[in-house]
Amino acid sequence: MIDMHTNPIMIDEVVKKEKDLLDNINKILSFYFPPQPLEVILLEMDAAGIEKSVLLPLDCTTAYGCSVVSNEIVIDLVEKNERFFGFASVDPRTEDALSRLEKYIDYYGLKGLKLDPSLQLFSHDEKEILYPLYQYCMEKNIPVMIHCGLNWSMLATAEYTNPLMLEETIHNFPDLKIIIPHFGWPWINETLMLALKYKNVYVDSSIIYSGTPGQVYKQVFEKQIGINVIESSLMYKMLFGSNYPRTDMRRTVRGLESIGFNPDFKERFYKENALFLLNNKEV
Amino acid sequence: MKIFTKKMSLITKKEIDLINITEDVNNAVTESGIDNGIVFVISCHTTTGLTVNEGLPDLELDIKNMLKRLISDEGKYNHSSFLHSDGQMAINAPSHLRSALLGFEVFFSVENGIMQKGGRQTIYFTELDGPVNREYIIKIMGE
Repeated sequence: MIDMHTNPIMIDEVVKKEKDLLDNINKILSFYFPPQPLEVILLEMDAAGIEKSVLLPLDCTTAYGCSVVSNEIVIDLVEKNERFFGFASVDPRTEDALSRLEKYIDYYGLKGLKLDPSLQLFSHDEKEILYPLYQYCMEKNIPVMIHCGLNWSMLATAEYTNPLMLEETIHNFPDLKIIIPHFGWPWINETLMLALKYKNVYVDSSIIYSGTPGQVYKQVFEKQIGINVIESSLMYKMLFGSNYPRTDMRRTVRGLESIGFNPDFKERFYKENALFLLNNKEV
Repeated sequence: MKIFTKKMSLITKKEIDLINITEDVNNAVTESGIDNGIVFVISCHTTTGLTVNEGLPDLELDIKNMLKRLISDEGKYNHSSFLHSDGQMAINAPSHLRSALLGFEVFFSVENGIMQKGGRQTIYFTELDGPVNREYIIKIMGE
C-alpha cells in the first residue's frame, strides 16, 4: 500500500531542524497536538499496512514568508528512509520557482510537484507564473498535486479550491498528470466529472470532514458516487491517501477496507496507480 | 515523609497492546530507597490504561479481545468530528472508552523496600490508541 498524501509535520526530528517551524506549522496549518518521534510515523505505517508514503512539503514564501515544511526537509527524510517518496513544492510567485523545481526534480529526485492555491494564494488564472511549472512537469512526465476542496488550515480560504477551476489547465496540458487530492470534497461530483472525462486527471481518497473514515467513505463512495462507478471508471485514476496527521492511518485503511472494493480495484487503488505516477512510466 | 518520582516514557508499537512494566516499577521502588509506603503508577494519557493481571500471553489476548468486544470500533460515538484544538480528526472514541474501563492508575504497598504484589500479579501499561509516544509516572511515598 502506498500513501500518496502524508504531511511530514508534527515530527520531533523535523520541527527541531528550523527555529520557527513549529510556530509556523501552528499558525499556517493549524496543527496543535504535540509532535511525535519519526519512529511513530513508521510504526503507524506498519500498523496500517502502508509500505511507503509520499511526503508533501508546502512553499508559502510569498504568502507567509516560510515553508511548512521545506523541500530540504523532505529530501533529508527521503534520503534517510527508503519508505518515503517526496514531492517538491515551489511558490509560483517567486522568480526562481522553475529553476528550484528543476533542481529538486532533476538533481534530488523528488517525484512530483505540490501546489496549494488556498495557502500559496494564487489564482488558476495566473498563467504566466503557473504554466512554466506545468510545462516542465509535463515534459518530465511527473505529476502535479493541486489542492482542491476543504483545507482545514484556519488561514486557508476555499476561493480557489473548486476543482472545476482546473479545467482550463487540464485542457491546455493534456499530458500533464494532475492529482486532485481529498477527492475535491465538498465538490465530489465536480471532481468525479473531471476524473471520468480527462485521461490526465487522478484523485486521491483523503476525504476528511466529519465522522470516522468508515462513515465518510460509506457516505461518499457508496451512497454519493456508487461503488460500481468507482470500480469501473476510476480503476486507473484513484490513489490512496491518508492526509496524515489530520487523521490516523489505521482507521483510514480500516474505513476503506469496510467498503468492500473488489480485489482488482484495490490493487490499482492502493498501490499500482501510485507506482505508475511515481515511477514516471507510461502504461 | 519521603517522596520519590520517576517519569517514564515509551514508544508503543501497536494499536492495542499490554506492556509489562512490572520490572520498571520494581526498579523504581529500589531506586527510591523508601522502606515502607505506597507506590503509585499513573498514566499521563486518556487513551491508555493501567491494569494488573496474570502475566500470560493468552490472558493478554483475552483482555485485548474483551476490550474490542465490549467497545466496538464501528459504534456510533459523539466524539467523532474535527477537533480544532488539535487540528486533527477526533475519531478515537473507542480508545477513550476502553481507557475508561481500565482506569489510569494502579498502586501497591511497599514494605521493607519491596513492592508487595502477589506472585501472579503483573503490571501492564495498556496502549489503546497506538503507536504513539507515551509517558507514565511512578511515585513512591513513605519513610
